[in-house]
Order: sequence, then structure tokens, then C-alpha cells
Amino acid sequence: MNLKKIFITSIIICLCLFTQIISGESTTDNDVENELRIADKTGDWGYPNPYLGYARGPGYMRMHFIFDTLVWKDETTQYIPLLAENWEYLSDEDAYVFHLNKDAKWHDMEPLTAEDVVFTIQYMKEHPYGWVVLDSVDRGEALDEHTVKIHMSGPYAPFMEDIGGTMPILPEHIWKDVENPMDFIDETAFIGSGPYTYVDFSKEHGTYQYRSFDEYYLGKPIIDQLIYVKTGDPQMTLQRNEVDFASIKPDFIEQMKEKGFIVIDGPHYWNKKLMINHNIEPLDNITFRQALAYAINQSEFVDKSIRGHGKPASYGLISSESEWISPNVPDYPYDPDKAMELITSLGYELKDGFFTKNSEPLELQILVSMISTGGEGTPDRDGEIIKNQLEKVGIKVDLTSLDTKIVDTKVINWDFELAISGHGAIGGDPKILYEKTIQVSGTKPSPNCARYNKSVELNELLDDLMHEMDPQKRKEAVFKAQNVYARELPAISLYYPTWYNAYNPDAGIEWFYTIGGVAKGIPIPQNKLSLIGTIGEGKEEITDSTSTPVSEGGEEMTDSTSIIPVENETESSPLILCISVIALLLAFFVIRIKRS
Amino acid sequence: MLTLFVFRKYILSKRWVKIVTVYLMTVFILLFLNFLLPRLLPGDVIIAMYSGQEMLITDELYNELIILHGLDKPLIEQFYIYITQLAHGDLGYSYISHASTTGLIMEALPWTLLLVFSSFILSSIAGIILGVESSWRRGGRFDRSLLMFMLLIDGIPSLALGIMFLTVFSLYCGWFPTAGALTPYSDATGISYVIDVLWHLILPLGAITLSQIPGDYLLIRNSMLLTIREPFVLTARAKGIKERRIKYLHTARNAILPFFTRIGIRIVYVITGVLFIETIFAYPGLGLLTYEAISNRDLPLMQGIFTISVLLVLVVNIIVDISYKKIDPRIEYA
Repeated sequence: MNLKKIFITSIIICLCLFTQIISGESTTDNDVENELRIADKTGDWGYPNPYLGYARGPGYMRMHFIFDTLVWKDETTQYIPLLAENWEYLSDEDAYVFHLNKDAKWHDMEPLTAEDVVFTIQYMKEHPYGWVVLDSVDRGEALDEHTVKIHMSGPYAPFMEDIGGTMPILPEHIWKDVENPMDFIDETAFIGSGPYTYVDFSKEHGTYQYRSFDEYYLGKPIIDQLIYVKTGDPQMTLQRNEVDFASIKPDFIEQMKEKGFIVIDGPHYWNKKLMINHNIEPLDNITFRQALAYAINQSEFVDKSIRGHGKPASYGLISSESEWISPNVPDYPYDPDKAMELITSLGYELKDGFFTKNSEPLELQILVSMISTGGEGTPDRDGEIIKNQLEKVGIKVDLTSLDTKIVDTKVINWDFELAISGHGAIGGDPKILYEKTIQVSGTKPSPNCARYNKSVELNELLDDLMHEMDPQKRKEAVFKAQNVYARELPAISLYYPTWYNAYNPDAGIEWFYTIGGVAKGIPIPQNKLSLIGTIGEGKEEITDSTSTPVSEGGEEMTDSTSIIPVENETESSPLILCISVIALLLAFFVIRIKRS
Repeated sequence: MLTLFVFRKYILSKRWVKIVTVYLMTVFILLFLNFLLPRLLPGDVIIAMYSGQEMLITDELYNELIILHGLDKPLIEQFYIYITQLAHGDLGYSYISHASTTGLIMEALPWTLLLVFSSFILSSIAGIILGVESSWRRGGRFDRSLLMFMLLIDGIPSLALGIMFLTVFSLYCGWFPTAGALTPYSDATGISYVIDVLWHLILPLGAITLSQIPGDYLLIRNSMLLTIREPFVLTARAKGIKERRIKYLHTARNAILPFFTRIGIRIVYVITGVLFIETIFAYPGLGLLTYEAISNRDLPLMQGIFTISVLLVLVVNIIVDISYKKIDPRIEYA
């Protein structure tokens, strides 16, 4: 019994000591540096380096803090200086000349020179990089230490967005010896020239850690430490103040605003669209496709499928919020009678509410699946809606729900009639119209590309769109191409969903959506410009405009800089409580044993 | 003929040899299925794997990927390569994650084992104690209300329990962190690291344990109700042995046998149950890895995870099988 007593007493003492340690712990952690945390549901997007990051938007975003490109975009302006202070296009030579920022340095303090740009082009030609296709570039040439000339192999209109604003510049002194970039994972693989240096990436936990690069040529970043954390429910993590930025569900916008968070809603650069097999009857007929467009009520999708959080799409593929939107894209306002009239004009007869031709009923199969929007699969409600709409105009519909990858494969193999699909990048450079209409030769088909090259007119316009270097003429070609696209309807754009993100203004950062999307059109509002000094005035504004932000607990937060306690008091107190309860129970148990 | 006779007489007669042979055959069949099934999925594997990525798949790249995944070889040869690699502990390379599958699984496995085994121990203890106490007071208020409560819990899937826990204890009460297995980059070491891990463990562990308790409880309770009627219990009472001794050492010792049989089967449910819980709590274990592998169609990773899960389940079963005689000496093997 004595031994037992000693044992139990020591346990209780241990527990008390524990409690001491924990309560001490929560106070010592408060003096961490200025830190910002971003929540993400998937977590692992690959190592933050051009070749090791996954070829998806978030993978590029993880990398863009470390590696800078020649030019960049912000909220309102296309192509602002980044590594290149200024640039010019020499039309007679078909070449671009970039004058680099003389203060630019690599994270190992080596100077960044024109040779690095020349090397990057050469290296990426030898080791293809998913985001940048350099077929249009002939070579780079260093005119002097800070001037680089890029010779084109032919006119390529999307150069600035596709290459200038997307290609991360690699340090020659490190990469020149790297034979296989996919196997290159030592510390130097993450030396870039961007505002943040690489500290850590955990594949297992899906976390990233960056530290500010104090010698950054545009000034020291506002936030010293940037961290990405993986979480099952980003919004909840934000509400708990565990992070400062997260995507949120549309139904909680008001609630989040009430709690003092700033909610930003995305520009509409992603579209849900109806893929059409235009090689088979009756879908090969333009009039029939136009009848489909009249039969489809886009507003019903917005109201029912995404509960009003979105808007109807333009039929010309390019987003209606893009600066490239044609002012006179043909429109198909919802008109079931007109749709029926068009179908009748094709020789169909209406019998018992459904069209028939040669006693064959008009029946179409629609493939639906969980379309991944913003990296997250969402159940498809559009199938049911479109089925009802088409049946209203006398078209029988066989709705088939399949795995996304199977739908993709069926679409690629032309083994479908209609399929619901979707893609982004419709707000950036209009070359998306080319990429999603015509199949690029020598490549495998993409499941959301219409692969429509029957229209000579459209083909010519799309060719102009890619190669016309005169901005005005290019714009005209883009407008015309959209109009022809909307008239011939190789695919029907349905709607643009709205995505919402919220952030904690106390962190001192004003996040924004980039015009046309980051780099090649990534619709994620985590542009690195938010974090660097150039928007210092913006930072001032936020702290003023939200003078009394209210924390979750209801107390006023007076501190405008981000000193985020890693473990706040509410987190440690229940542990103490729990341990005290366990200690009490143990004591109670000992007394009982003694008595019995 | 003679060798066959010797084999039968001396080798096969040994019980453990029999068990191991049966298990080896099971492993082989399962490995074959595991190899074959992903290849039977409709559609072009390469296109399916890479279609979500922002990369232009040129013909050259396509051929390179086919060779990279070894899909250019005949099926039998692919299976041979798979088995040989497996024998060397190489589960393949995940091209989507740019990492060795073995490495990915080994990083995730400890977290799942921590979750599965601690929940197993906790739910077993709770299930046994509650089952024994409940059956001892059968028909009483305690028994009736506990039974009702357990049936209620049994009806709630672990997924719903997880979401409820997360909403109540994390969002509203703010007592526990919402996700992960530890606070990222908190620089915690030693005792504070352990506490941080435990802190993150509580909610997923609670959800999974609570979903497991009713099964154990109901099994033990029913088994106890039958054992209580046995004559030896009456004898023990007549001998004046203390009640707690009769309850736990005499009755429960006998009533616990079906529970051990259930362990083997249960481990499968725990592993699948962990998938949902880990996804909800973003807990970096095998369940979350499985979820991600399936959604990315990461073939090598899927195969690796299933192989490990199969082996894990079989190892637990084999242990239960072999130790069964130790637990219940009355069992005689045919």
C-alpha cells in the first residue's frame, strides 16, 4: 500500500508540474516575430521550386514567393516591373529587350544578371517546364550585365503574359550543373530572387515556411515569416484565429464580416461549360447548337446550382469581366419557343412532348461528374437542371454520372454527346480562346478543349490572336473570334461561380485579386505584391478603415501589427482543467481503494 | 509421393505452418488483385493521371510517361517487376508527389498507428468496463440508460461524430486546434512537443474511440449475460469470493473471448474509419494519404497504401490467430 501511495502521489506531483510547464509555455510563445499564416485544404502542392511544384495554380503560388519573373501584374495594371525595370519590343527584329533591376540579388547574395535570364531560357528549352512553352522563343542574349534581349522565332502575341510574367528566373551559378531538375532537392534548389526565402516544406503535414529576404530589391517584405498550414476546414481555422487568410463558404460571408474579417470575392475567371461532340448528328449542326443555347437558362444554374453566388457566362468563352470581352458577343436569352422553332426547322416533329425524326426520338446523353473547382471536387447539380431544361423543349435526356477522370477520357475519345466540364484562365490573355478551341498540334487532347477546327473564319481569327503583335489589331481579332465562337458554339459556357476568401485585417496585409489572374491566370488572391513594401500606403489605409476590428471573443483588438500567439490562452486553459480533473479523479479513486 | 507424405505428416501438421501457408496464399492473391484492379479502371491511365495538371502532354512526354510508369511492358512482366520490387521493400515512385511511395507511407503510418492503437486501447478498456458493469446491473436504470446511449452512439457514423466534435469543441468552445497533428513551425521541443501532439490528437482520437465503444460494449455485455448464468459463477459466489473478483477475474475472463475474435475484423473498420476522421481533421495519416491518392489517381501510391493496409490487417489477424490458444486454452485445433 505504501508503494501505491508513493506512486500515486508522484503522479499527482508530476501532473502539477506539467500544469506549471504548460502555463509557462503559453506565455513564452507570445514573443514570436511578425508572422502570417494561410490555411489550405490540400496542403501538399509540391516543393516550392519551378520543377518540383505541382503543375497546378496553388503549386505555382507556393513557388512565386521565392522566384521572381521579369514582369508581374497587380490588381489593376497588366505588366508592371519586377525583375525588369522597363522593356521594349523591337518589331523589326521581333525581339524583346528587358532592362533588369540593378539591385536584384539571389538569396545567396550573388547578383542577378542578364546571363541568368539567358541561362533560364536555354535551360527551360532543354528541360521543359510545364507552365512555360518556349517554342516561340529562339534564344536569349545578354547585351550587358543588366540588359537582356530575347529573340523570338516568330511573332507571338501572348509573350508578356505567357513568358515574361510566368517564367521564373533561375540562378545560373546553381542550376548550370543540374542535369535532372526533378531530382534536384538540396537547399540550393530553392535559391531564388523573390521576396521570400525558403525555410521548410513538409510533404507529410502539407506545410510551408518562408522567411522574408531582407535584401529584396523592392524593399524588405512587410511580413517576416509566412506559413501555409493544411487544415480540414480553412474557414473554421480562420474563425479560430489560427490563421490569417482562408477560403470561405459563400453562406458565411455575413458571419465572417461581422467577426471583423475582410471578405474578398473573386473575379469571374472560371467557367462551367457544356462540352459538345460536334462530330455527330444532330450536334454537328450549328442551328441545333444554337437551339440548345436558347433552351438553356443560365440564370437558373446560378440560382439553383450555386445559390446565386456567381453569374451567367458570356457565350464567347472569354470572361465578361476580362478587358478582352467583345462588346457585341451574340447572346442567347432563354427562349424555349425559339429553341423548339429552330429544332422544328431541322425536320424534327413534336410527338407526345418530345421531338422525333424518321420515328427516331431525339435523345441526348449528358455526362456529369464531380468537377474539381479550385482544387476541390464539388458535386454536380447542373446535370439535373440541364436535363429539365432540355426536356422542356422536347429533347429526351439520359443523364449519366461518372467519375471525373472517366468523363475526361470519354470526352477525349469523342465517346460522348454532351458533357459538363469546366476550366479557368478565361480572364487572362485571350490565347485561352485558341487553346480551348483548337487542339495544339503534337499534344494530347485536353478534356476541356472543344477541338473545333471546322470553321475557316474562326481558325484565321485565332491565328491572328496568337501572332498579331499590333495591340489594336489583336484586340479586333480577339473580339471577332469571340463573336464567331459564340455564333458557332463549339461548346456552351454556362456560368461563372464566385469564390470567396477572407482575411484578418490585423495582420496588416491587404490581399487582392490580380487582374486576369496571377501569372497565366491563376485566380488565387495571394499575390506576393501584397506582402512587399510597394503597397505600404495600402497597409496604412487598412489599419485606419478598420479601426475597431473585433476578435472572435468579442474583445477589441488594438494591435494592428500581426503578432500572432502560436498557442493562445484559450488553448492552454482546458488542458490545465483536464489535468486537474484527472488528478481529482485519481485522488478520489485512491480514497475509495483505501476505504474498501 | 514420399516427399508429399513427409510434407503432410511433419510440416503441414504443425499448426503455425498451416496458418502461415494460408496467410501467404492470401497475401499473394491480394497482391495480385491489388496489382490488377487499378489497371482495370476504364480510360487511359496516363491521361487520367495528368489531365488535371496545367501541362501540355505532347506525344513525346506521353511516351516518356508510359515508359516511366512501366506501362509499355506486358502485364505479366509488370506483375513480376511489382513483386520483385515489393520484396525489396520498394513500393514504387509516386510521380504526382515526386516522392518514393515507401517514404510517403512511412511518414504517414506512425500517425495512423498512433491514432488507431490509442483508440483501440481506449475503446477496448471503456467497452469492456462498461459492458461488464452494465451486464452486472442488467435490467437496472444504469444498464438501460447506458444501453440506450450506446445504441444511439452506434447509429452515428464516425464522420458525423468528427464534424460534431470539431464544431463544438474546436469552433464554439475553442478548446482544441481544428486541424493537423501538431502546430506547424511552433518550434516546440521536448515536453511541449509531446503536449502539442497530444493536444491535436484528442479530437480525432475522441471521435474514433467513441464510434468504436458501442460495438465492444454490446459484444461484451451480451457475452457477459450468457456467462453470468454459468454454474462456476454461482460456485465462486458460494465460496464467498469478493464481487469485483468474480466480476472481472471469473466472469469477464470467460466472456471476453468473442472480443478477441473481433479484433481481427475490427482493425479493418478502424482503418477505413480513420480515412474519414483524418480527412476531416487534416490529420497526416494513412487515411488522408489514401483519400488524396484516390482523388489524384496516383496509381503507385494507391497500390502501396493498399499493400501496406492488407499486410497490416493480415499481421493483426495472424497474431490473433496464433495467440488464440493462449487466450483460451480450451480451444483445440482440428
